[in-house]
Amino acid sequence: MSEIIEAKNLTKIYRRGREEIYALKDVDFLVNNGEFVSIIGPSGSGKTVLLNVLGCLDTPTKGSLRLNGIETSGLKEKDLVRLRQDNIGFVFQQFYLIPTLTARENIELPLLFSRKNGNRSRIDEILERVDLGNRSEHLPGQLSGGEMQRVAIGRALINDPEIILADEPTGNLDSGTSKKIFDLFRELNNHGLTLVVVTHSPELARQAHKMYTLSDGQIVRCEDLACRRFKYTLHIL
Amino acid sequence: MNFLTLAAKNLLRRRGRTLLTFLGVAIAITVLVSLLSLNSGYEKELNKEVNSLGVHILAVPKGCPYEAASLVMHGGVIPDYLSAFDLENISNIKGIDLATPMLMHQFIGKDAMSGEDVPYVVFGIKIDETKRLKSWWKVEGRYFDDNETGVMLVGRSLAEEQNYSIGTVMLSGPFKNFTIVGILEQTGDQDDQFHFVSLAEAQRVFNKKNKITTIAVKVKDVGKIAAVSEQLEKIPDIQVVTMTQIMGTIMNLAGSARSLLLTVIAIALIISAFGIINTLLMSVNERTREFGMMKAIGASGMDIAKIVLTETIFLTFIGGIIGTLVAIVGSNLIEGFVKGMLPYSPKGSFVSLSPELVVFALVFSVILGFLCGLYPAFKSSRLTPMEAIRSGAD
Ligand SMILES: Nc1ncnc2c1ncn2[C@@H]1O[C@H](COP(=O)(O)OP(=O)(O)OP(=O)(O)O)[C@@H](O)[C@H]1O
Ligand SMILES: [Mg+2]
Repeated sequence: MSEIIEAKNLTKIYRRGREEIYALKDVDFLVNNGEFVSIIGPSGSGKTVLLNVLGCLDTPTKGSLRLNGIETSGLKEKDLVRLRQDNIGFVFQQFYLIPTLTARENIELPLLFSRKNGNRSRIDEILERVDLGNRSEHLPGQLSGGEMQRVAIGRALINDPEIILADEPTGNLDSGTSKKIFDLFRELNNHGLTLVVVTHSPELARQAHKMYTLSDGQIVRCEDLACRRFKYTLHIL
Repeated sequence: MNFLTLAAKNLLRRRGRTLLTFLGVAIAITVLVSLLSLNSGYEKELNKEVNSLGVHILAVPKGCPYEAASLVMHGGVIPDYLSAFDLENISNIKGIDLATPMLMHQFIGKDAMSGEDVPYVVFGIKIDETKRLKSWWKVEGRYFDDNETGVMLVGRSLAEEQNYSIGTVMLSGPFKNFTIVGILEQTGDQDDQFHFVSLAEAQRVFNKKNKITTIAVKVKDVGKIAAVSEQLEKIPDIQVVTMTQIMGTIMNLAGSARSLLLTVIAIALIISAFGIINTLLMSVNERTREFGMMKAIGASGMDIAKIVLTETIFLTFIGGIIGTLVAIVGSNLIEGFVKGMLPYSPKGSFVSLSPELVVFALVFSVILGFLCGLYPAFKSSRLTPMEAIRSGAD
């Protein structure tokens, strides 16, 4: 299996006056193509920083990052924009939908920037995939939290990325709705999408293939859940 | 979807604010268009009028020279008189080519169309001298002689309005029984509206023996106007008005009126520009996170700048259209108002709202939007997505 995310020795230092804050310390992070990875850790442990660096929204102070085989350090802003457009879909805790655009238009928005033309059927297909077929003309204000997050996921999918990076996508949702979002993630993953999801909920995190635990900017644990589940099944047998 | 619909939809998000901004821009553009249209029209009319006078210097009774000049040009009663003695003094001054006396007077007569009593203006003139002064005069019929009685000349427009033709005999008024012997060909100035009789006849009819209201002076050398008028000023009782002076003073007054106008325009535009910039910065700051999100989903800095600029230009362009329309509708209203305030106003309408001015206003409103949007656009395009998202974090 090929590695779609290959991060080595990622270090991110923020300076606050004299003080240096190590948001990330020598993080190695490998994700295989088609893998579903979750990240947990206490607040302030660097989860968001890691995700932003992986998504090229932020540059690491040290270390290297290869996405889909492309070395990102030293890329120009223009190329980073292209890289994001072609490879990465982002999902946020606060959804960040544009309130004046309908569900359909919000999903369409990335096409405006990538200059790809999305025909109607493609958008309809996405709407079906995130189960919003009958909500397409609603404004975000007329949607529930779960529905808004599904719109955001649809928006992340429209450019046909390889990887979805989600930062606490269920942080604003109740547990029932959260489960449904994770069901959707698993389904997308079953169709070959690579997922990296930050969450506060260990229960949801365990649905992934691998679960990383971050603390003080370092990866302190990596559990191979698929393997364990496999072992568990073996055990029962 | 495109940038324009995105901009339009976003402007609908804060309807109140958008409306106020529209209004601000519209008012600024209205002021700009109407004042500019007044300004250019005023200068055009004024130049036309002063140039058609053919007189270099006017000697009038002491009083307000501009009022007098305006009266001479438009007709009316000059309330005081000069005498033959003044004329003699003037004629003796060196450098004068011609000094001709005139008696201008008003009288009431019947209008042929409505039958109502209306005021007319008559000039008593010395015909040969006047012909020299106004070399462009041409007559249908003939001129009168200075010592001929009971005959008159009329201006072309007057003749047309009153159905006068050569040989018409006046039926009423102070010139009852006078015969029209000549009609001036169209001059394009005030002369088209006047009656002309010999000076002696005018003095007789109005019982103003030896009195004159104006002495029109032509100098030998146009370059010596200032020197000649200096000599003239030494004569008591008379007030000297040179045409260049009138023109200059009116232009000066118009000029200061214009700089006032331009100041008003500039202030209106600056206020409106700051209003727009402020609104934009507010709207941009509010949406920092949104822009961060847009970058995360594939927008470049240029895209963000484009969004902000599209919004602003959209805003000012619509404002500009509204403002221009208001200016077109309102310019006549404004003309009436401004005419009352100006020291001297030409007779014709001086609102000249040319298509060029309308195009200029619309282009200007786009440029205004572009300039106002530049800083906010630059500011938001420079945000790194990370910063943008964090800065708005709850
Ligand atoms: N732009 C920044 N400037 C300064 N410090 C920062 C910046 N971004 C992150 N940090 C610091 O880096 C550390 C990690 O922050 P991060 O947001 O990744 O935490 P997190 O694990 O996502 O926490 P949470 O679960 O609360 O979202 C924190 O100590 C934070 O204060
Ligand atoms: Mg976080």
